[in-house]
Amino acid sequence: MRNTLHSYQELNSWLHRSNAAAKLFAAILIILITTLFTPGYWPGIIFVTTVLISIATSARLHWPALLKRLLLLETLAIGIALLPLLQGRGLELFIFSLARISLCLFTMILLSSTTRFADILSVLWQLKIPALLITTLALMYRYLFLLQEEMQSLNRARNSRTFTPQRQLIWRLNADLLAQLFIRSSERAERIYGAMKARGWKG
Amino acid sequence: MHIPDGFLSLPVATGTAVLAIAGLAIAIRDVKNNLPEKKVPLLGLAAAFIFAAQMLNFPVAAGTSGHLTGATLATVLLGPSAAVIVISAVLILQCLMFADGGITALGANIFNLAVVVPVVSYVIYRFIIGFGTSSNAEPDLFKKLLAILIAAWISIVAASIFCAFELALSNAAALQLVLPAMSGVHMVIGLGEAAITAFVIANIVRLRPDLLGSSSYVNNTADNERSFFALGLIVSLALAIFVSPFASSSPDGLEFVAEQLGFIASATNLLTQAPLPDYSVPGIESLMIDSLLVGLIGTLSAFVFAWFFARWLSAPNT
Amino acid sequence: MMNTVNALAINQLSYHYRDGHTALDNVTFTVKHGERLGLIGPNGAGKSTLLQHLNGLLPDSMPKKPKDAVIHVYDRPVISDELGKIRADVGLLFQDPDDQLFCPTVWEDVAFGPQQLSLDKNEISRRVTDALNAVGLSGYEKRLPHHLSRGEKHRVCLAGILACDAKILALDEPTSHLDPRGRREFKKLLKSLAITQIIASHDLDMVAEICDRVIVLDQGRIVAFGATLDILGDEELMLKHGLEKPHFLSHHHPHSFNK
Repeated sequence: MRNTLHSYQELNSWLHRSNAAAKLFAAILIILITTLFTPGYWPGIIFVTTVLISIATSARLHWPALLKRLLLLETLAIGIALLPLLQGRGLELFIFSLARISLCLFTMILLSSTTRFADILSVLWQLKIPALLITTLALMYRYLFLLQEEMQSLNRARNSRTFTPQRQLIWRLNADLLAQLFIRSSERAERIYGAMKARGWKG
Repeated sequence: MHIPDGFLSLPVATGTAVLAIAGLAIAIRDVKNNLPEKKVPLLGLAAAFIFAAQMLNFPVAAGTSGHLTGATLATVLLGPSAAVIVISAVLILQCLMFADGGITALGANIFNLAVVVPVVSYVIYRFIIGFGTSSNAEPDLFKKLLAILIAAWISIVAASIFCAFELALSNAAALQLVLPAMSGVHMVIGLGEAAITAFVIANIVRLRPDLLGSSSYVNNTADNERSFFALGLIVSLALAIFVSPFASSSPDGLEFVAEQLGFIASATNLLTQAPLPDYSVPGIESLMIDSLLVGLIGTLSAFVFAWFFARWLSAPNT
Repeated sequence: MMNTVNALAINQLSYHYRDGHTALDNVTFTVKHGERLGLIGPNGAGKSTLLQHLNGLLPDSMPKKPKDAVIHVYDRPVISDELGKIRADVGLLFQDPDDQLFCPTVWEDVAFGPQQLSLDKNEISRRVTDALNAVGLSGYEKRLPHHLSRGEKHRVCLAGILACDAKILALDEPTSHLDPRGRREFKKLLKSLAITQIIASHDLDMVAEICDRVIVLDQGRIVAFGATLDILGDEELMLKHGLEKPHFLSHHHPHSFNK
C-alpha cells in the first residue's frame, strides 16, 4: 500500500512545465466534481475519463507506469467499495463507485507524475501554510530516501548474520532496526541544526 | 485506514477538515512556543523516519505482513503536539505524491491519525503512568511499556471508530456494518501496533535513554498543558458530533448505542473464537448485557496480555 | 599587493569538553589572506573542533567581550554578538554533505544562506548562478540532493558557502569518501578558488599539492607549523604523530605534480 515508487516521470511535457499551483487546483477541482456526481450519473464518469486520458496521452506519459501505480492502489479501493455491495445495494452502484474512486486515484497519479514535491512546497508557502509545517515537510522529503537507504543497509547487515528467519525473531530485529534508525535520525537532526545555524537560520 | 476520495460526503469532509486544521493550528502554536529551537529539524527527520518505518514488513501469517502506523510511537518520542505535526506531514506527502489517501479526505485522515491517535495515546499513557508515581519520580520501565502497549492499542481502535463513523455519516456504508468491521479489524491490528511500538521504545531506552524521559515531553509548562487540553477538546467535540445523529434518530438512545456495541462485541467474538459461543454467557438473557460483557472480557484479555508482554519486555536481559 | 591584515588570527585558543577532556590546548597561529593552510593530524587531534570554533558552532565557548576574543577574522573579534557576521564570513564545509545539504533542491540549498541574509530576489538569483558556476555545477538548479554523487553534494555545499560571500573557507575532510576522479576534480576546484582556505584532511597528497603551509595538530596541541614540504618531508615528525610521509616525497614520482 505504501510503496517507495517515486512516481515522478522525468519528462518535459506541457503538463510538466505547467504551474504547480494550477495543477494542484485543477486536480482538486476534478476530484471534487467527480465525487459530487450522483450515483449512476455515467455521462459524468465518461467525461472525466476522456479528459484524464487525453491529458495523460498528450503529456506523453509512460502508460505502463501509470497503470501499475493505479493497480497497486486499487486493492484498498475495492475493499471499501465492497461494503455497500455487501449490504445488497446493487452491482451497478459498486461498479460506479469503483469507477469514481479510480478516476480520483488516477488524477492524483497524474499530478504526482508531473509535479515536483519541491514545487508543491512553494505553492503551500504561498498559501501561507505555517513555516514550521513547511520546514517539516521539506526536511522529511529531503531525508526520506536517505533514511530508506540507511534502513536497507541496516537490514542487509542483519540479514547477513541471520540464518533462521523465525517470525518472532524478525519482529524483534525489526524493532531493533527502527530504534537504531531513530537514534541515527535524531543525531543527524542535531547536525543539520548546526548546518542551518551555520548559514544564518533564525528559526 | 487512509480513506480514499469518493467515500466521504461534502459535509463530513469539510467538517473533519475544519477539525484537522484546528488541531494542527493548536499543535503548531504549541511547538513554536515550547519546543527548543534545536529540536525543530527533528520534526522533519522524525517524519521521514515514520514514513520509512511504515514500509517495514512485519510477517504475520502465510505470506501476509503487518505495518507500523507509528503515531503512538511519535507521541511517546516527541510529545503529542509534535506528533500531530509529524504525522500530518507524513499524511500530506502520502496524499499528494503517493495517492495514498484522498485529497478530499485529507482532513479526515489527518484528524483520525494525526490528532485522535496522539491525543488518545497521550491521555492513556499519562493516566497509566500516573498510577502510584509521585510527580517528581521517573516511572519505571515496566510501567512505561505497559502504558505504551495499552495506549497504542486503544488509540488505533479509537481512530478506526472515528473512521467508521465518518464513513457511516457519509452514507458510504451502514454503521451496523462498518463499525464492527473496522473496529474489529483494528483491534487485531492494534495488537501488532502496540507490540512493535513497545519493542522499539524498549530498544531506544536500552541504547539512548536520554532520548526518552520527561524531557521528551517538552517543557511541561502550563501553556503546553493548555494546548493539550484544547486538542482533547477537539477530539471530544468530534465524538459528540459523530455519535449524536445516530443517537438522536432513535427513540431510546441508550439502547441504540448498546445495540451498536453488541455488533462490536460480535466482531471481536468472531476473531477470538471465544469460549463464549453465540456470544451469550449462559444464564444471562438480555442481549445488551451479553454484548457489553463480551466486549469487556475481550478488552480485559487484551489488557492482561499487555501486562505480561510489558513485563517480558522490561526484563533486564531482553 | 597582499593585504597586511591577517585573514585569521588565533591566539591561545583552548577548549575542554564537558567531561573534562581537553580538545584544544593553547592553539596559536595566523593565516594570511589568500593562503591555503593545511591542518593535519591523527583522528581525535581536534581538527574538527578547531574548525567548528571558526564558524561559531560551539556557542557555549564563545567570549562575550571583544577584549576576551581569542579568534579574529580579518581583525573582527569572534564573540557571541557577532555570530551572524562570523558565520557569513567563515564558511564551514561539513564532513558529511548529507548533514549540510538539507533543502529539497540544489537551487534552494545554495539560496538558503543569501535568503537568511535578507537579500533581494535578483541578488539571490545572481549569487546562486555565480556560485554554481564557480563549482562547475551550472544547470543543476532543479536537481534533487539524493540523486547526486557525494562529490557533487560536496560541491553544492561549497556553492552554498560561496553564495554567502564567505571570505574564508574552512573544509573538514573534503576529499574523504570520494573516488579518485572526485578527488582530482575537487582538488582542481579548490585551487581555482582565490579565497583563503583552511583544509583539515588526511589526504596528504592533496595537502602537499595545494597548501602553502601546514599545521600538525596532535591531542589538541600544535606540534609543528611551517612550509608544507618541510613538514611533510620530515618522516620522523610525521610518524610520531600518527601520520606518514607521502610516497611521492620518498621516490621520484612518475607523474610530476605541479604546484
